[in-house]
Amino acid sequence: MKLTRRAILATVSAAAILAQPLMAAAQELPRNVRLVIGSTSTGGDTYQNAAIVADALAEKLGINIKVDAVGPTEAFKAVGRDKRGTTLMMHHDQSYLGHLYGVRGYDDIFAEYQIGPTVAVNPGNAYLLPKDSPYQSMDDILKAVESGERVRVAIQPGGVSEIGFSAMKNAAKLAAPGSEENLVAVNTGSQSDKDQALFDDLADVINGSIQSNEQYTQLPADDQKAMRFVWITARPETLSQAPEAGMGKLSRDDMLKYASPETSVTLDGSKDFTFDKVFFFIYNKDMDPAIVKQIDDALAEIYADGTIQERQKEAFFIPDFRPSAEARAHLEEKNAAYAKVIDAIGAAQTN
Amino acid sequence: MDLFDIVTPLFLSLIVGGTFVGIIFGAIPGMTATMAVAVCLPLTYSLGLNNGLALLLGLYVGGISGGLVPAILLGIPGTPSSITTCFDGHPMTKAGEGEKALRIGIVASLVGGLISLLILDLFAPVLAEFAIQFSYVEKFLIILFALSVMAALSSDMLMGIFSGFLGIFISLIGTYSIESGGNGEIRLIPPGMENWLESGFSLLPVLIGLFGLAAILEEAEKGVPESMSAKDVKIGAASTFSFGIFRNQIGNLIRSSSIGTFVGILPGVGGSAASILAYTGAKTFSKHPETFGKGEPAGIVASESGNNGLTGGALVPLLSLGIPGDSTTALLIGAFTLQGVQVGPLFIGENPRTWDAMIIAMLVANFAMFGIMYFAIRFMARVVTVPKPILFPIILMMCVIGAYTINYGIMFDVWTLLIFGLFGWAAVKVGIEVAPFIIGFILGPSAEIYFVKSLESFGDLTIFFTKSWIAIFLWVLIAGSIGGSAMLARKRRMQEAFAE
Repeated sequence: MKLTRRAILATVSAAAILAQPLMAAAQELPRNVRLVIGSTSTGGDTYQNAAIVADALAEKLGINIKVDAVGPTEAFKAVGRDKRGTTLMMHHDQSYLGHLYGVRGYDDIFAEYQIGPTVAVNPGNAYLLPKDSPYQSMDDILKAVESGERVRVAIQPGGVSEIGFSAMKNAAKLAAPGSEENLVAVNTGSQSDKDQALFDDLADVINGSIQSNEQYTQLPADDQKAMRFVWITARPETLSQAPEAGMGKLSRDDMLKYASPETSVTLDGSKDFTFDKVFFFIYNKDMDPAIVKQIDDALAEIYADGTIQERQKEAFFIPDFRPSAEARAHLEEKNAAYAKVIDAIGAAQTN
Repeated sequence: MDLFDIVTPLFLSLIVGGTFVGIIFGAIPGMTATMAVAVCLPLTYSLGLNNGLALLLGLYVGGISGGLVPAILLGIPGTPSSITTCFDGHPMTKAGEGEKALRIGIVASLVGGLISLLILDLFAPVLAEFAIQFSYVEKFLIILFALSVMAALSSDMLMGIFSGFLGIFISLIGTYSIESGGNGEIRLIPPGMENWLESGFSLLPVLIGLFGLAAILEEAEKGVPESMSAKDVKIGAASTFSFGIFRNQIGNLIRSSSIGTFVGILPGVGGSAASILAYTGAKTFSKHPETFGKGEPAGIVASESGNNGLTGGALVPLLSLGIPGDSTTALLIGAFTLQGVQVGPLFIGENPRTWDAMIIAMLVANFAMFGIMYFAIRFMARVVTVPKPILFPIILMMCVIGAYTINYGIMFDVWTLLIFGLFGWAAVKVGIEVAPFIIGFILGPSAEIYFVKSLESFGDLTIFFTKSWIAIFLWVLIAGSIGGSAMLARKRRMQEAFAE
């Protein structure tokens, strides 16, 4: 076949015309998006947050978003494979805490992925005691370990559940170096395992949450299952945004009594340690900045509208939208603070 | 209670519709009740709590029950909890008794569901108190009791035990999950395979590979298989089913339903263990244990009343402790939280209307399941008359789709299906027994976690004998089950020697 200049020009022009919509499409989210989450549970807080945000975002952008609870390993793999924006990820602080603790399958998200916007905080992370425990406060616990008493704390190691325990150890070390060895982790799995550890007297303190454990605090003291809160890790600024009625019989004012500054677990001798469980997007490192901006802009409008906040508050989440750049700075700051705590007590695994 | 405030036409329609959809999910190999509830969970936000629960509980009951259809007709368990239904249901289908087996399974499912619902309604808080007496030690012994059925299910006891341990071994490949209380380390993975095997082999793809694909490969090896004609299949008037079959099964029904309910109230033990334990119990107490696995109706009765007994049982810890009894009820917590309702030890007292709505929904769902399935049997049973060159590719396609979707789109699950399909086909040729293998595979991870956690928590092996009277009782059951299996094997050997 003879290629004339006209034929070549026509071919190039046709190709350019055909490519134009593809190039345009590459700058915005595809029509069908998969939002993978770092949890395999479709009944947990990560799924709930992802579902609420996915609904709002899909409606705003006129696209389909499907939330898939594939768990952290598969979620990181899936988002790492796809830079077109077809696969996005949502997770919480576990995504960088896992790396800080050296848990297998957790890379440095700040180096290997892009950080997307934050969407909400779960303020419920808490520590509880049996109702008849001799310890009345965190001070009692820290004094007990200082005096050589062994205090067992049931946690799920390697992330959100452990960070408060690490903070306790750090505070004990600051108060009396060496006393942190008397705070002993009892490694368990799910929340029910932690509760059971308390019922079986295998733990003196457990990690739990306001949502899961509040009703146990209403049981009479002679009930084997009765518990009471000793520490809520959320920042007071976060808890102040919770509904005034709180949850169950625990009002917002009650919650604040268990949180900093009234209940103090020191970070460095001057400031208190706090931990908010923040939910945020994670993107492929090479995803188009135009898509990042599209999601930021859409969420800004959604949060300005105010409807999503109602849904989040109904599910006991604190709305917390920060655009990608701000979210990255915020999470890097948290990452650095928690890295110091973990380093101070040597809690990172070596793998 | 103003009954008609709760029981509206919408409420009833959602239960019946949910049950119908759940049956379809349960009947497709690879799709489960959990998946049905997960898919419909977001809908509950707009439906309100009671109507949302009506839909989800319908899906739950339908999904658990639907698994018996492929288990009986095709020999592929639709859900892990219908694994033991295959053992006797499919041999009955092969003998042209598919419709009868289905009817037995459906009636047993209804009875199991109703007994567990009655127990839930009357004793939920008391049973929750009892459930928390079960620590890691007692849970390990329950799993050990379920594992003891491995020997009883084998034609060659030694090979059966070997197959069961092989199943346990393969189930442990992957990461010792932190979420389950492990250390997050990988183990038993050949070098270079970490990226593929770090999450291990998923149960559903293994199950449908071993039972679905392996059977198709076996048939393919024989050449173009002949299909059963309508004459070979006893359908409609030709069916030999009568309710009289249950006259001798009342004890089995009550025992198996109670076992299912009891397993349900223990968080973390797992739904599959319910039917396996019920089946073990039925075989142990049967006067003719040798007939199990060869088309024994009592086996179907035990399996189906056991797994439907789980439905009410699993709601006990959910509603009395805020702890889900199985993976499906874990999703129900999401429905409550989306509506801003707390579940915990005070739930029943503080939410009497929701409690009533759930009990009514479960009751209606059980009868809806019975109505839908019982009257559709005649059509379902004709599946086996579809020419196999048409039926097998359809089954294969469903298996692949089911494997791909079970973990929301992971391709390795399809490879798992193919690997275990080939394994299942080859295993029979070298004498490995598939039933004990899969039971070992299902129960292996729980056995490991509870065993290790028992030792971590209590120090040494003596704790398994000294922890509580419950532990002693469980040892008696384990000894009875193993002793029964040994006696059965001895009797079989003597019969063979006599025949020679």
